Amino acid sequence: MIWEIALHEWRRLRAGMMFWLLLAFGQLIIAWLAFAQLESFAKIAPQLKAGGSTLGATDLVVMPSFNSLTLLLLLGIPLLAMGSLAGEIRSGRIAVWLSSPVGSGQIALGKTLGLWLASLPLVLSVSITLAALGMGIALDWPRLALTVAGVLLFSLWLCGLSLCISGLFDHPAAALAASYGILLFLWLLDSLSGPEAAWYWLALLPHTQPWLQGLLRSQDIAFFLSTGIGAVWLASYTLARRRGEI
Amino acid sequence: METLLRAQDISYGPKRRPRLEDIDLELQPGERLGLLGVNGAGKSTLMQVLAGVLAPTRGEVFVLGQPLRLAPPLLRRHIGFLPQRVPAYPELSVTENLNWAGRLRGLQRQALKTAIDDALQQVQLGSVAARLAGSLSAGMAQRLGLAQAVLHHPDILILDEPTAGLDPLQTQQIRELLRQLSTERSLILSTHLLEDVQLLCSSVILLDSGRKTAQHAVTSETDLLAHFRHRADTDGMGAGA
Repeated sequence: MIWEIALHEWRRLRAGMMFWLLLAFGQLIIAWLAFAQLESFAKIAPQLKAGGSTLGATDLVVMPSFNSLTLLLLLGIPLLAMGSLAGEIRSGRIAVWLSSPVGSGQIALGKTLGLWLASLPLVLSVSITLAALGMGIALDWPRLALTVAGVLLFSLWLCGLSLCISGLFDHPAAALAASYGILLFLWLLDSLSGPEAAWYWLALLPHTQPWLQGLLRSQDIAFFLSTGIGAVWLASYTLARRRGEI
Repeated sequence: METLLRAQDISYGPKRRPRLEDIDLELQPGERLGLLGVNGAGKSTLMQVLAGVLAPTRGEVFVLGQPLRLAPPLLRRHIGFLPQRVPAYPELSVTENLNWAGRLRGLQRQALKTAIDDALQQVQLGSVAARLAGSLSAGMAQRLGLAQAVLHHPDILILDEPTAGLDPLQTQQIRELLRQLSTERSLILSTHLLEDVQLLCSSVILLDSGRKTAQHAVTSETDLLAHFRHRADTDGMGAGA
């Protein structure tokens, strides 16, 4: 049933305008940024080679583009997710979900996976575009694969968090505003405090940057998994409370 | 014969201003029960409580003897619910909406396809099956909602004001459809139209300010209007005093 709900969510998003706008706009922005980086790289490549630098296209073109993709997902996924629960509540369709013989946890998990499916075309199309550079320039393939895996995990985490926030509001616009507020807070948290602060662990940048530098750290995976599962559980809890199961 | 649905001492909302208060009702197999009341009487809230969308703050709803709130979700398969606003995705087609409703209620592959074909035929939406739900007229949208509610062949059909907002011809068509659908299952129908009750229901519960004020069998002699006249007179006297 989780998979059925995920497919339904994906179909619903695919039928709407927002998905296609995000995909087109996202690809345009990333392609433009990647070409700008590539042009700069082509200009300085002879000097780098002459100076014996180890920096290559992966460092100067691919990773900055993935960094931009991370930002784009941060802005785009809440837009896709805002209607996932808040829209159902506002339209009255939540009545069918809650009166159905499907568990609240299944609904929350299915909708999270559906959102993730909808974010995949952007992530994969950008990844393929950047990997295509490998036809003409030497790329660090293991690092590229690690970064793609990291971005996939990050997008799944964003889907869980955005869905959870969507379930707390009766209006999609309110859910979107709250999502942006919380994500901006997490994004800036590391600059508001030093590594010794207790809440530094929640800061987003220290968990996303290592991937872009080719580091796979268990603490980052643990962060995304634990907070992501927590968010999906909270979404499930809010649905169960509406039903009176809790 | 086992009672299909039983609501026991249902209350909903804050204690000081409850939206429902101490409501009892029973639905027997084959019964067509109407919930009649003016706007704001608590009909929609009660329908949502009976369908398991809202949990009562006090009391319990039992379906086939099992408490709806605590029993496994599968118990909800016995209920088909049409809320006041048709629960369709405007950006999806009629068939896709039915596909979603069917899968949500556990129908799979061939059974789902057969159920969708049957439901489309039953509500006469076969010719617009590929059209987007957002482009349907109010009457057609209501029929789509009915198809969603009966798709999984529930024993109990809970319909919240299915004729509200329809023109006279659409109202007549929906009433005819409801008459057909209720031959195979038990029905709870909320409405503020006396005619809906007279034509479709075998018994009626009158709701006023979240309270059950009366319950009658519906016959051709039942004068439901008298109840409302009496209430208006009582209110008028209260206001005068």
